[in-house]
This record gives sequence, C-alpha cells and structure tokens, in this order.
Amino acid sequence: MVRRLARPAPQPGLHRLRPGHPLPGGHRHLAVPDRLRRPLDCDLSKAQEGSQPGHPFGFNGQGCDVYTRTVYGARASIQVGVFATLGVALLGSVLGGLAGFFGGAWDGFLSRITDIFFAIPVVLGGLVLLSVVTSATVWPVIGFMVLLGWPQIARIARGSVITAKQNDYVQAARALGASNSRMLLRHITPNAVAPVIVVATIALGTYIALEATLSYLGVGLKPPTVSWGIDISSASQYIRNAPHMLLWPAGALAITVLAFIMLGDAVRDALDPKLR
Amino acid sequence: MAEAILEVRDLHKHYPLTQGILFKKQVGAVKAVDGVDFDLAAGETLGIVGESGCGKSTVAKMLVNLERPTSGTIRYKGEDITKLSPRALKAVRRNIQMVFQDPYTSLNPRMTVGDIIGEPYEIHPEVAPKGDRRRKVQDLLDVVGLNPEYINRYPHQFSGGQRQRIGIARGLALQPEIIVADEPVSALDVSVQAQVVNLLDNLQTEFSLSYVFIAHDLSIVRHISDRVGVMYLGRIIEIGTDAQIYDHPTHPYTQALLSAVPVPDPEARAHRERIILTGDVPSPANIPSGCRFRTRCWKAQERCELEVLLLAVPAVFRLTDSPAKHDSACHFAEEKQVVPPEEPQEPQEPEQP
Amino acid sequence: MLLEVRDLHVEFHTRDGVAKAVNGVNYSVDAGETLAVLGESGSGKSVTAQAVMGILDIPPGRISGGEILFQGQDLLTLKEDERRKIRGAKMAMIFQDALSSLNPVLSVGEQLGEMFVVHRGMSKKDSRAKAVELMDRVRIPAAKERVGQYPHQFSGGMRQRIMIAMALALEPELIIADEPTTALDVTVQAQVMDLLAELQRELNMGLILITHDLGVVADVADKIAVMYAGKIVEQAPVHEIYKAPAHPYTRGLLDSIPRLDQKGQALYAIKGLPPNLLAIPPGCSFNPRCPLAQDLCRTDEPPLYDVTESPVPRTSACHFWKECLHG
Repeated sequence: MVRRLARPAPQPGLHRLRPGHPLPGGHRHLAVPDRLRRPLDCDLSKAQEGSQPGHPFGFNGQGCDVYTRTVYGARASIQVGVFATLGVALLGSVLGGLAGFFGGAWDGFLSRITDIFFAIPVVLGGLVLLSVVTSATVWPVIGFMVLLGWPQIARIARGSVITAKQNDYVQAARALGASNSRMLLRHITPNAVAPVIVVATIALGTYIALEATLSYLGVGLKPPTVSWGIDISSASQYIRNAPHMLLWPAGALAITVLAFIMLGDAVRDALDPKLR
Repeated sequence: MAEAILEVRDLHKHYPLTQGILFKKQVGAVKAVDGVDFDLAAGETLGIVGESGCGKSTVAKMLVNLERPTSGTIRYKGEDITKLSPRALKAVRRNIQMVFQDPYTSLNPRMTVGDIIGEPYEIHPEVAPKGDRRRKVQDLLDVVGLNPEYINRYPHQFSGGQRQRIGIARGLALQPEIIVADEPVSALDVSVQAQVVNLLDNLQTEFSLSYVFIAHDLSIVRHISDRVGVMYLGRIIEIGTDAQIYDHPTHPYTQALLSAVPVPDPEARAHRERIILTGDVPSPANIPSGCRFRTRCWKAQERCELEVLLLAVPAVFRLTDSPAKHDSACHFAEEKQVVPPEEPQEPQEPEQP
Repeated sequence: MLLEVRDLHVEFHTRDGVAKAVNGVNYSVDAGETLAVLGESGSGKSVTAQAVMGILDIPPGRISGGEILFQGQDLLTLKEDERRKIRGAKMAMIFQDALSSLNPVLSVGEQLGEMFVVHRGMSKKDSRAKAVELMDRVRIPAAKERVGQYPHQFSGGMRQRIMIAMALALEPELIIADEPTTALDVTVQAQVMDLLAELQRELNMGLILITHDLGVVADVADKIAVMYAGKIVEQAPVHEIYKAPAHPYTRGLLDSIPRLDQKGQALYAIKGLPPNLLAIPPGCSFNPRCPLAQDLCRTDEPPLYDVTESPVPRTSACHFWKECLHG
C-alpha cells in the first residue's frame, strides 16, 4: 500500500529535478529510480528496513526512502543555512563595520545591543518566538536566526575593522583627503572581510544544526517540509535498531558543513594577493 | 630665514583618561603634546628629535590633520588649517603630505603599486586627467628609483627599502610643498637607510620641498636637517640650527641625549664624556611641575620645580654673538660640548690597550 | 677558548626551497672578551646564535654541518637533556624584546627565582631572596618592594635589566645578547650597555653581542665579525676595522651611516639589496653590490684571507682585500 501524505500529487512525467533546485550539483549524477523521486511517497510496510536494491540507504520509520529524503532534505537545510548566513553576514558586518569605523556613541550603543542579544538563550528564544508562527516555509526560521545571529558577526566585523583602521595605509589615505566611503570600501573592507567570511562559513554549519534542533523541538520547520534536521530528530529514537536512518542525513549534514568551511578557506585564500 | 610657510603656535594634544563602565568620567589627561611652537621656512628641513613618548609623532599627525589639536594653531601660508571646512581642508592636504615609518603597514596589501601611487589622483582628480595618470605613476616610480614596469605588482613583492620608496612616491604624487616624514628610515636596514636618506635629499632639491623630519636617530637628523628641535615630554625644549644644537647645546637634556649616542669610532671611547641620565621618562599623564626635565636633571634646583620656563634665548646668551644664542628652555643653560669636534683629533699620546 | 664555532652550516626548509641561512661560520670568544657579530637582517647573525644556544626551531631549521665547541666539548653531539643543563647555567641569552620575553602573568620575582628552583633545586622562599639580590645587582631601585610586581609595571629599560638579571642568575660563562638595546631609547640604551659591560668585567664572562648598530659596537666590542649572506666576510679587532676595513661590505657600511659629529654631503649608499637566501649569487655573495667586483668575484668564492699587513690577526673574505684596505 502506498500511503499518500497531504503533499502534491505524484507527477508521473517528472523525470528530473526541477530547475532552480538548490541541490548541490554533485547529487545529480546519482541514478534515482523514477518512483522514488517523491520524498513523501512512503510504504509503511518497509519501515526501518535496511539497504536493498533500488533503495541504497534503506527506509525510515514511515517507510519512506532515506536516499530520496536525504536528497530532498538538502533543499530546506541549505536554504536555511545559506540565507541565514547571508542575512547575518550582511546585517552584522554593516552594523558592526560602521560601529568600528565611526566609534563614539553609536559604537557604544551597538555594543550594548549586541550584549543584550548575546544574553538571550537561543533555544529558549526560538521556543518563544517561533511557537507563534504558523507558516510552514523556511522564512520564519531564517528570520529568527538572523535576528539572534547578527551580533556575533557584528562583533567580529567591528574588531577587524578597528584593526584594519589602525593600519598606516588607512591613515595615508586620510592624509590624502580620501572620503570616509573611500577609506571604508577601498582600504578597510578588503582587509577586514577575511575573518567575517571565515566565521560566517563556520556559522553556516551551526545554522543548519540549529535548524535541526529547532525542528526537533517542534518550532522549526514542520512536516511536510523535508529537511535533514527533521529526519535526524525523527530518526534519533530508532538509533539502536535502525542507525542507518540517522547516519545518512547526519552524514550529509556533516559533509555539507565541512564543504562550506573549506569553501570559506578557499575564498579567503582567493582574496589574499600574497597567495596569488 | 626665508618666509615661513608653516607656523605652529602653542599646539596641544591631550587625550582624556576616563574611568567607569556606564558613565565615563574624566580622571585626567595624557598630555602627548603640551605647547609646541615652531616655524618651517620654504625649502628647509626641520628635524624633530626626541625619545619615544615625547609626542613627536603626534605633532606629525596634527600637521597632516590626522589628529585634531586640543588647542593651538597650525598656519599654512597664514591660514589656520585646524579650523578649515572639509572642502578647504582637502585642498590644503594636497600641499602637506606624509611619509610613514613602517613600510609594511603603510601600503594597502590588496592594491597594486599603480593603484597605491595613483590613488591621490583619484581623490584629487583635478591634478591629473584620467588618461594621464598611468604615465604619471610610472614617472613617479622612476623618480624614486624603481622600475616603472613594477606598476602592476603588489607591495609584498618588494623589500622594505623599495616599499618605502613607493610610500615616498605616493607622497610626491600631488606635488606637495611640505612633506612630513615620521621616522622614515628607522625600520630599514643600515645599508638601505643611506639610499632612502639620499633619495629624500635629492627630491628636496628637485621639487623644492620643505621637510619636517621626525626621528629618534640623532645622527640621521643632523645629516638631513637645517634646523633641529629637541622634544621632551610634549614640548620642544631646545631649537636651533644643526650646528647650534649639535656643537653648542645649552639644555642639559640635549647634552645628555647627544652624549648617549654611540659614535662609530672606537678611538672615541677613551676621550668621550658621557652623561648617563638616571631613571626613566615620566608618564605624560603625570608631568612634573615646573621644568618637566627636572626629575632627571643633575642641575635641578628648587627654582626648576616652581617656575615654568618658556622656550626663549637664555638671558646669559642674549647679548652675545655665540652660537649658543638660540632658544633653550633652561634656567641654568650653559654651553657644553658633548659631541667630539668635527675634525678628528689625533690622540695626544698612544692609547693603552 | 670558551666558545669556538667551526664551519657551522644551518639551512631552513621552506615551501619555496632551501634557504641557506648560515654557510660556514667560524668564530671564537674567550672569557672576558666581547665579540660583536654585525650584520643586517637576514645575514644569519641571529641564527648562528640560536644554533649555539640550541634554541633553533628544528624543523624547519637544520644544522647541516660544523661544530660548536664550548669549553672543548662539541655541543652538537650532546643529548637534548645534557644541553638543557648547559643552557641557562653556563650560557644564557638576552633578547631584543624584553616585554614579549617575560611572562606577563608571573611576577618578576617568580620568573627570576625560577632559575634557582629549576637548576639549583632551591625552595621558593630562598629563590625569592635570590631574586631581590639579582635585582639589586642590575640596579633596579627598591628591589625589595618591586620583586612582586609584574612585567608591565616596569619601563622598557627596567624590563631589559630584568632580562639581564635573569641571564646572569646562575653566573654563566657566556652571554649572548641579541640586539639588547635596539628597542630602547638612546639615553636608556647607554645605561643598559654600561651595566652589561660592567657585569661582564666583574664576572669575567664571554659576551657575544649581536647587533646592526656600528655605534654600539665601537663602544663595547673587543673584536668584530661582520656577517653577510650567512658568512663572516671580515673578522678583526675593533680598532683595526674602523680604521681601515679590509672588505668592501664593511667599508660600505661604515661609509653609509651618518655621523653625529659630521655634517657630510650625500651619504655613500651600498647599491642594490641584500641577497635572497634561496638563491645566493655564485662566487662572492656580495659581488652584485660591490664596487670592486671583477670577473673573478663572479666565479670564485673567496676564501678567508689572512690580512698579512696587519700587526694583529685579522681575516677578510675578499679577493681584493689589499685594494680595499688602502682604498
């Protein structure tokens, strides 16, 4: 019996993943049997079964194919990770960078604000704020992460802008009569951005993990959305008799996080003229 | 003396010391610069010497408007540049440029040499039309003795001396009249220092520049300067021509400073008298009353503690014609020769090994 | 002879190749003698000293040849724990940057006393008394009151005195001072150099003074070894070398420094740049910058010639030392 969950009707003609799909390209070459392209087509009679021909990763607690769900889960997890990181990095580095550059009262005010945000426990904040959200999309979760995450980047950005600002070449530009925007964009930003990139890529992994935590607590993403976080938390109760259900999405999560951290290193190297 | 193009009067820079976490209250001030006066004539080099913490670098920063004075005036051709509007300031900045101490931090590592030297033209586009800039940058590289083909290289591909040349080229780009050089050779190797000092010498003649040359190395300052001011704890305590200061110093601090400089001549060991000062320089947050040098001075008396003496020609020399007749802030100014005279003397008798 | 370095070679393995930092250095110091090792950055003067002290970073460094004889014993054949017993007790080092050489979270007294606890097995209390004694010896005022203070509470000159006190703690026979006064102001520099010279006389120690400052050398050294590209290019008693250098590099250095007592015209400047240690020029390593260079200098590496015209023993690694001496 094929149990159909509330999600879109199966489309028999769908042979490839839709364009614009945020899956990393590496997944595409894996052969996906036609009938498994839908992550919510599940067969309860196969629940918790291990690897078998056509289903290399086995089945989960509801009898859904783990491989398919792992592939589809990348969409939500990476969406959350990438957009939360982008939001945090933009907001944090602009606010922190300006505070570091101009100093004075604005800097003091911003520092107090970041202190306040640091004092908010993330999980408790998530339980309170996200429990009132009814939307099933990823955006409320992303918004919450940006709200609580920007102070971390703001601190890093402020520090590295202050360090870069003290370099003589910034003083030299000022002595030439350079405008503030010129000093910021041409001299300070390129020399202050590296630590922000590194911290942001590491944070990306933690956002994906945070999404899993929140989903586990029931305030993050909600089924029928497919995400690694949801799968990890639902598989965790079967860890003794069916560890494969946990290992595949968790492995995908770990590899993805590692890949983003390595990407961060590569970006930093690419920005450094000394290594050219 | 030719007409002064820069007149500095009663210049002060105090950094407030604050305490408290939420409400900051001022508990004192670091008096980095505490009443400095001098003139700079067109085409001359004024050397400013002093030990670390005496405020000489802060003076340099105020001259190029990187720091705002707490009080006092800096007049460039009669106009006080400390009170200009941003637009007028930008125009003045073209004429007063700076060469920095550290060739490793004064060049942006992410810009090519061409971008670094060409940046002044982007900030002041009226100086050179766009199509002309590349050629101008290459000319400047040539002027400072670098291969014009290096225009696309990055700073880390150059040695310290070459980087300092790039910094000098950037300073020259806007054809300034005054260059403020803050310890321009102290980070360089001995054999490279001479190259850069000679370059600065040649550029001065070629472009009729005036220099304010700030350094702690008294030998280099003597070599390059026409006049020399000696700073101690935020003030100039003696100023005069290089011969007046080096051969006829009248302030005890200048004498001690000069006598402490090692002379590269082992024969001088025997007949050199060295004045070894006791103790360290007091903190600029807590400057002694009266004469600020009195805590280390061997001539200090009660009078030095009570009276603040301004920089002027001491009374004893006022009516004389001797080279000792120059500004010196000491009650007990007297001439004392501490640097061996210019002609190397033959030792009277063979030295004992 | 207290210390004799014979044909020492040190190289560094870097990503870009093998940097030959020290290429056959010979020098010696006797008790009570001051040897100044003069050179610019990258000349190998500090690396040689680190090899003598046994504090070279290995890897990337590697001692690829030579002997370091200390009181007749080759240090390079000793085991690490045997060398450690010599380090600090029989030879000690003073560094340029006193602030970063002192531990900021330990009081000065604890750091000075540690020497006695580690090497002499003294109790904490006795070692503190020793620390006060040492601070008195290097003339730090109010030593008893200041022994419990931390490094940042002392001025630069006082910190360098503490470094000297630490080096002298166990009355070593050899002191290596690596640019001991470069970071200090001239008036303080004079105090510190005087103190060092006086203590050296008192304890009859050998002193190796590593510096780039020709003025400091002239004030305190007995003999000078001038280093260039990892080699000693000239070695001579101090009076001889300032009177008439026998190597064009030494001559260039002496001519290129401005003098306090003279207002010269343009300074003589040695042309070019110090060599890249990854690619030292063949023949004489100084030949691309040398005004006397001939074809011979570009092909044949000069041996250490004895400067036979001199009444005292001195050497020069220049084919044309005669021309230079009379130059």
